[in-house]
Amino acid sequence: MQTRQAFDGQRRDQHGPDRRTLLKAAGIGLFAFNVAGVEVLLSPAEARARGAVLSVLSAEDAALLEAFGEALVPGARAAGIAHFVDANLARPHHESLLTVRYLDVLPPHDAFYRAGLAALDAASRAVLGVPFVQASAAAAKPLIAAMLPGTIAPWQGPPAALFYLTVRSDAADLVYGTRAAFDRMQVPYLAHIDPPSDW
Amino acid sequence: MTGSHTASAQAPKRTDAVIVGAGAAGNLFAAVLAEAGKSVLVLDPGPAWKAGDLYSSSIWSRRLRWGGPPVESTGANAFGAGFNMGWGTGGAALHHYGTWPRLMPSDFTMKSEFGKGLDWPIGYDDLRPFYDRVQEEVGVSGDAEAEVWRPAGAPYPLPPLQQFAQARLLAKGFHAKGMKTAPSPMAILSQDYKGRPACLYDGWCDAGCPIGALANPLVTYHPRAVKGGARFVNGAHVTQLIPGKTTRQAAGVEYVDSTGTTHTALADIVILAASTVSNPSILLNSKGGDWTNGAGNGSGLVGRYFMTHSIASVYGFFDDEETENYMGVTGAQATNMDHYGKQSLGGGAFGSLQWQLAPTMKPNDLLGVAMARADLFGADLTAFMERAVHHLAVMFGFGEGLPLLENRIELSDRIGPGGMKTPRVVHSFAPESVKVSEMAAQLGLGIIKAGGASEPWAGPMATAHMMGGTIMGNDPSASVTDSFGRSHEIDNLVIAGPGLFPTAGAMNPNFTNHALALRSAEHLVERWLS
Repeated sequence: MQTRQAFDGQRRDQHGPDRRTLLKAAGIGLFAFNVAGVEVLLSPAEARARGAVLSVLSAEDAALLEAFGEALVPGARAAGIAHFVDANLARPHHESLLTVRYLDVLPPHDAFYRAGLAALDAASRAVLGVPFVQASAAAAKPLIAAMLPGTIAPWQGPPAALFYLTVRSDAADLVYGTRAAFDRMQVPYLAHIDPPSDW
Repeated sequence: MTGSHTASAQAPKRTDAVIVGAGAAGNLFAAVLAEAGKSVLVLDPGPAWKAGDLYSSSIWSRRLRWGGPPVESTGANAFGAGFNMGWGTGGAALHHYGTWPRLMPSDFTMKSEFGKGLDWPIGYDDLRPFYDRVQEEVGVSGDAEAEVWRPAGAPYPLPPLQQFAQARLLAKGFHAKGMKTAPSPMAILSQDYKGRPACLYDGWCDAGCPIGALANPLVTYHPRAVKGGARFVNGAHVTQLIPGKTTRQAAGVEYVDSTGTTHTALADIVILAASTVSNPSILLNSKGGDWTNGAGNGSGLVGRYFMTHSIASVYGFFDDEETENYMGVTGAQATNMDHYGKQSLGGGAFGSLQWQLAPTMKPNDLLGVAMARADLFGADLTAFMERAVHHLAVMFGFGEGLPLLENRIELSDRIGPGGMKTPRVVHSFAPESVKVSEMAAQLGLGIIKAGGASEPWAGPMATAHMMGGTIMGNDPSASVTDSFGRSHEIDNLVIAGPGLFPTAGAMNPNFTNHALALRSAEHLVERWLS
């Protein structure tokens, strides 16, 4: 059965999951990822753990996004923030689940993320003397703290506060917005329609 | 005859009425007209949502937000278009919170009474019977007697919703200050009503209410419209009105379907119920025939007087209590309107203030716990979250934004479906409106502290709700429509939605939106083409 195969991460035919399967999978919190040339349906955390290929972001951008997301909301890296953002950027705008969708950031949103990440890295190199991914948490803290008030300098990209809020929201979605997170925090999930396996 | 959801290729080419937008007003118009025997076609750019699509998840709820051509938002107090606008059948009302206070009489006469803003062409008494009928139809829960501020009207058909610890804790502060609280009037069922079940208080209203306890269009007027024979086409982006034989007539509308194919829908009556942002956008893009300045825009006021509400958010911890902030409803559990009087705050503020206490907070999302302290990150955020998900309380002060000519929806240079230009919203609050929000924050801090909260703080001013842009009035040179939403310039064009409001008050707009739409739709049926 195709759907079962896809959920199990087993090899599919060369065309990958059909649209019905993809839609159904999206409804239970999975995205299509390419792992070693095979399309499989995984959660963002699983996709990261299995080294799924990114569709939109470069490896460098993904590493930077993971580092920034982890600095903002501990746990975001392992939760798969880069794969979560990447999978949603690959979707049509009206199917995106990203907070950026209602922060009035004009599309294309992949350009927004790329520009924000580039600005962050450039600021890190200028202020801290190292790429952001190499900055220690203690060193990065004042740099990040200057983003929301917009006092970070140098900064050449989308508004620093907007970029900070966007990535922080993505990270918070994964770390605090899932059913597992609710359970961890002992907050009753109280679903009307039982939510996806992951969120 | 029963209505249905129809592919654009099978959509009727001519109907008695074409309605643009399947939100609250569009569905209400469709129900009234279809039940009167009129053939009705409803066009909506988004998907045909069903109750089963409304997952209990803040993340998935984003699909219900605007997914059409991008809306630019700018100005000193930029409006949150993406968060407020809806997408698909049900429109913004599909993810609205069901907080349904009525406007006050002073909201209708602000210019006459205070020399500021505008007057409505009708008064509260004109709208009162429609408020009463709508609340009976859809089911509103509340305590009219406890709302000592409430204008005259029929009692609510349902008792108030249940309250949880957060509401009780916040109310203590108001009472300590000698202020009153009352259960919020909510279009959410406290008891089973007309075949719909009572609320479960799970706090997922923002993600849409799949059981139908909250009065979203999928369970109120949409089923009536479908049963009456209205046809719905989703994925239909209306690009412009088509001129009729004279400049005072519209022949119908042009729309682009999901394949990019352009269609026309001809009708005797065109009803624009797309949204406060999309209605002016469609009118301004309509430059056929002699409509060189846009359809119905001889006055130059299409898009003008856009309004929104300010939000002053006030937070505090109750460390000795489980605040149950994840329970209840997304709107509010209780309200206070002691400072609704336009000049009651003093200190240079002008405009009404409405408090909404104890909305549900889920851990993530824009109105969630994590965003309550957006400045925190790293280990500080982790510690905050552990404490806040069980001990945080919040209340929102909704402040009135005055109608200003310069606040507007205009066309940008970006191109959307069908080659039409996409909208841009330009918004800045008047200084006296900013003062309302600033004073609300200070007032709120005193209140929550008096209630025993520790470490209270106020968040940055935000915005909510969208009104104006196609305002009603008696003077065709100073407004876009008459009190029934009929265009002053195009005889068979009716505009619906909160875009008609000449003033915003400080009340959530959807109850007034429904009351106005019912009044207009019945008026239209009574005087069809006369």
